[in-house]
Amino acid sequence: MSPLAVSVLKVLACLGLMLANGVVMIWMLRKVLGHLHLRYGPLEMGPSGILQTTMDVLKLLTKEDVMPGAADKALFWLAPLAVFVPSLAAYAALPFSSTLRATSLDTGLLYTFAALSFVPLGILMAGWASGNKWSLLGGMRAAGQQIAYEVPLLLSVLPIVMLTGTTDLGRLVEAQSGVWAGFLPRWFIFDPLLWPTFLVFVVAALIESNQTPFDMSEAESELVAGFATEYSAMKFGLLFLSEFSNHFIISALAVTLFFGGWLLPWVPEGVSASLAPVTFILKTYVGIFVMMWIRGTFPRVRIDTLMELGWKRLIPISLALVVVMGIVIKAMPALARVVG
Amino acid sequence: MSDPRYEVYEAGLIGEGMHEPPVLPAGLRRSPSGVDGLRTEHLVVNMGPQHPSTHGVLRMLVEVDGEEVVNAEASIGYLHRGIEKLAEHRRYDALGTLMDRGDYVSGIMGELAAALAVEQLLEVEVPRKAHWLRSLTSELNRIASHLVWYGTFGLDTGAMGQFLYAMRDREAILDILEAISGQRMMFNYVRPGGVVRDLPPGIDAKIRAFVDGFENVYLPEHDALLGGNEIFQSRVKGIGVITREQALAFGLTGPNLRASGVRYDVRANRPYAAYPELEFEVPVGETGDAWDRYLVRMEEMRQAARLIRQLIDGMPEGPHAAKVPKVLRPPAGEVYAAVESSRGETGVHLVSDGSEHPYRFHYRAPSLFALQALEEIVPGHLIADVVMIIGSTDVMMGEIDR
Amino acid sequence: MLRVADVERLVAGIEGAAASEERLGIVVRVGRGSVEETLAQLKVAGFNWLVDLLGTDTGEHVEITYHLRSYEAGQDVFVKTAVPYDGELASVWQICPAALMPERETAELFGLRLSGHPNPKRLLTTDGVEPLLRKDVAVRTPEEFRR
Repeated sequence: MSPLAVSVLKVLACLGLMLANGVVMIWMLRKVLGHLHLRYGPLEMGPSGILQTTMDVLKLLTKEDVMPGAADKALFWLAPLAVFVPSLAAYAALPFSSTLRATSLDTGLLYTFAALSFVPLGILMAGWASGNKWSLLGGMRAAGQQIAYEVPLLLSVLPIVMLTGTTDLGRLVEAQSGVWAGFLPRWFIFDPLLWPTFLVFVVAALIESNQTPFDMSEAESELVAGFATEYSAMKFGLLFLSEFSNHFIISALAVTLFFGGWLLPWVPEGVSASLAPVTFILKTYVGIFVMMWIRGTFPRVRIDTLMELGWKRLIPISLALVVVMGIVIKAMPALARVVG
Repeated sequence: MSDPRYEVYEAGLIGEGMHEPPVLPAGLRRSPSGVDGLRTEHLVVNMGPQHPSTHGVLRMLVEVDGEEVVNAEASIGYLHRGIEKLAEHRRYDALGTLMDRGDYVSGIMGELAAALAVEQLLEVEVPRKAHWLRSLTSELNRIASHLVWYGTFGLDTGAMGQFLYAMRDREAILDILEAISGQRMMFNYVRPGGVVRDLPPGIDAKIRAFVDGFENVYLPEHDALLGGNEIFQSRVKGIGVITREQALAFGLTGPNLRASGVRYDVRANRPYAAYPELEFEVPVGETGDAWDRYLVRMEEMRQAARLIRQLIDGMPEGPHAAKVPKVLRPPAGEVYAAVESSRGETGVHLVSDGSEHPYRFHYRAPSLFALQALEEIVPGHLIADVVMIIGSTDVMMGEIDR
Repeated sequence: MLRVADVERLVAGIEGAAASEERLGIVVRVGRGSVEETLAQLKVAGFNWLVDLLGTDTGEHVEITYHLRSYEAGQDVFVKTAVPYDGELASVWQICPAALMPERETAELFGLRLSGHPNPKRLLTTDGVEPLLRKDVAVRTPEEFRR
């Protein structure tokens, strides 16, 4: 098959995965939040409400697309695309197994972060183009929040890059293969050196994915739906599909960087390799479950507290961690896990 | 915008014509500090009347400089039904139904205020059991009302779970009140002379079970989930400070006043119904910020549970109402009667001319005074805080608009 | 606790003021022009808490009642004044800021002109609604409403 056909197939596969993710995650969110809130969540459509999301998507496809009169028409159309396309692009470097991934990029980690960094641009466009003061406030908050937290997010994974000497996501997972003392997997989460890194990463990742306790730009009880208030039908569908897709990507990154990616410990090599994509996706969904659990429990942080947290605390801490990691690696080269 | 569709905007309903804030004496108004020294254009933002977080149909016009509020004006009247005018065409025993529709979350306490006013005019003696039944249902209603406040306060911050946990407990209370009065919300239970009916058999076991569970398990759980949460505390501490002078100057009553350090509770200072015989504490705050208002209301729920236990344990025997004529014709006169409802001092100022219809019925709504205090307290905070401050003062539009 | 005689002494200097003990409590009746002075005097004596402000249509004029309370003494005092129909209601917000919204409501529902107020807009009803609490404005019957 020609390279072009292969690329198109890969994009379609990623799109298919994105849509499937959306369907499963939206159902999962409603069920998880429901049970946390002493209620059932969707029950009617299909057993235990499984078909609910499909019905919702059909509903969104058939709804009337309303554009407010005061909206900036070109930007109003572009904004959902500006949010959707980078989200789709970020699937490109995710390692589902040692061989199964859309492309094998040497700079996979940087590429994924770079793709995700386009999303706040789209949100700002959406907020501005709606012609609504509340949406504008939501968009500006997103710009402030998500753009600001790109820095600690990237800085927080630098120690891992220093430890393994690579930003290729596949090789980062391979650096975590094997076990210590016969039973503890060599995942980075079990490495005490990287625990502060993990904490910073978790906070920064939650903020990047716009989740309560950090969902200021769509703070439901303050700004109705924030930047997405004026969007209806499929444009709204695209905006929220990309948001859920971002949750998946953030969780997948956490799994790749800290939880061993597709690796399954204590299991013979052949079994582990054949189950790799399933393992990867299951681990990602556990991470997503924890994110939803946090979402259903915590109140929201105020925007200025958030900005203070990012600029005054997380960035200095992550810079300090980079320095510490550098010193440790120089002092004890045996600790480094340089791969290939 | 010269499009005729936008006339309603140009007519000054949105944004234009915001009033210049009054220069209050003795520094009673909080002045905006200006988050930075930049001279930027002020944006007038409209919160409500359809908004997930204004409690009821409240419309707040807020002038912001960036994220800081410079001026705030409340535009109300969306729920005005002319209760005071309607009362002039009803009979005296129907005044309770009108009070029910005012503060609809604390129905019993509103009805009680009206009944006390009519009884003062009639100079009728209410039997002891009726006093105790009135206090029992009042305290149950107080917990229910505070649970609504707690749930919506959490919802304002984005904590959705706490709202549903509070509603679970409120369902238990509404079930009890339904067994007692027949209704979940517009009780019509307290009438001049006493109450409509006695307690149904077996209700005291239900009430005891509820109070045991609530006081020992569920209320600490609520407190830990929201109050023990650092994010919530950081959003609420130091916000919306109402000093003691401001509280008295703006006519505040109830938990808002007590959080500012003034110990005034109608149940303790001007006791009515069974309260002279009951033991309870009046929680008082120190700084008057939103956190103190939160703590005062949580403590009030505990004290209400304590009162319910005393009431159900010591419930006397006897008639549940005095004999009053079917059509009440109180002699001419003017009285004022007040109760401590969950929002403050709910008062009824009643003028009678000797006929079967009241001559003038005035409903003193505690939330009205809280709302005008809000207009002066909110400037100087960020937009996100506006929602928290409104939530912490627990304003109820039904009684403000009447 | 203040008695009627004490209150009488407090307002002795104000022209047209008379204190009496009625069913309601201690009531001070003053002329329209002396309301602010009376409230200021009572505020100095400890009645700095405005509990309520309402109007009553007596048939000849609109009677405005100011319900004051002293927290230290735990006592209430009512100040009443008469305002003619379509007359002017002078605001007392400088002395009692708690009067800001109740005055707007009273002026609107009784058809009075509010003067000296920073925000004399209507509070509860929209433009075109009659002063509802006046006795000569009737409540519509259900039949009238259906028509």
